[in-house]
Amino acid sequence: MRIGRLWNSLATPKRIPRVFSIILGLVLLAGFIVPLTYDVHQLYPRPTPQLQISEKDPLAPYDRGGVPLKEPGIVKAQYPNYAPAEGMVTGYLSPISIGVSNTTLYYGTSIYSSPGGLIDEILYYSRGFDTVLESSILMMAFVVASWVAIHFTMRRRED
Amino acid sequence: MDLTTLGGQFIGIIPLGDIVLYFTTFNLFMFAAVLVFTVLIAISRTESQVEAQFGTLKDREKKVGKAEFKIRRFLAIVCGLATAGAMITGDVFDFTLFVALIGIVNIGIVAAVKEIDVLDSAFQYGIIAMIASLPLFGGAAFILASTGTLSLLEIVNIPTTTLMLFGSILLFLGVAGETGVAPFFATKAEMFRTPGSPFLLIIHLSSLMVIVRIIEILLIINKPF
Repeated sequence: MRIGRLWNSLATPKRIPRVFSIILGLVLLAGFIVPLTYDVHQLYPRPTPQLQISEKDPLAPYDRGGVPLKEPGIVKAQYPNYAPAEGMVTGYLSPISIGVSNTTLYYGTSIYSSPGGLIDEILYYSRGFDTVLESSILMMAFVVASWVAIHFTMRRRED
Repeated sequence: MDLTTLGGQFIGIIPLGDIVLYFTTFNLFMFAAVLVFTVLIAISRTESQVEAQFGTLKDREKKVGKAEFKIRRFLAIVCGLATAGAMITGDVFDFTLFVALIGIVNIGIVAAVKEIDVLDSAFQYGIIAMIASLPLFGGAAFILASTGTLSLLEIVNIPTTTLMLFGSILLFLGVAGETGVAPFFATKAEMFRTPGSPFLLIIHLSSLMVIVRIIEILLIINKPF
């Protein structure tokens, strides 16, 4: 009879998030005993962490070389034959970022480093479809939230 | 083992940079089935529930308003397209994004309902979907860390390690939470108690298809035979 009570307790929607988080917690705890075998030939390579900082490179740790539209920077792709222009915009800096990088050594770790460069290369070129999907998830969330906010799905006074 | 062991004949690929969608006989059949079902839903109208009443001969009819009908149809079509995309994608991270999109759209389809019980269970489902995004993306991240790639066409040639197995368990737990299968079905089952049938069916169909597909992906990653 015990198992019958267990099944019945699973039929209550309120308890389901707790059951799920307990199972997830157990799996994550089991993860501590799993040996970590990282692959060293990563698809998106990086230089040694402190190397560019010691060289006083203002773009450290994200300097990947390359001249925009002329010479590709150091970016690898899974399928280079499907991404012929890979690395061509990695070296791009907007005029503001060129100005900033001339004044400070810590440009690479600041928020200015996002326009242009490596992040755009992966987000908008070699893995561009992911970015389309991510923004459509966000758009659907806004569609649902704004519809609920405009139409008031419940008459709240009566509850 | 290669992709044709599970999927049958290899038909072709759609390269989008590093993300490569591929077709096998199995994938293509599921993709076409989901698309046909989505078209059927897009051109259909909602049912209206009729409830008999005590002490009178009249029936009570529950109908779906026009604004509600429109938003539900839109979200059901998006859900169908996301399911179809998850069927043919050859990239683990891309698959998790499709599943996350299905999860959020499922909440949206029932968010337009005016019944409190249904909204309560949809709220619980939303909480699970949020918690499940941790193992979902975490599992994909573990697989990326242990293989160095996300593309299934490459992973199929890499020998399985324990970390890949752990990553795929996390991935499965995430998909199970997002789609609401076996032990977590109660929230989703309560969500269907509302008029507007054809649009609610896409919630069922998407979780069914995604579960079939995740099992195929897990077999590809772990290579048991």
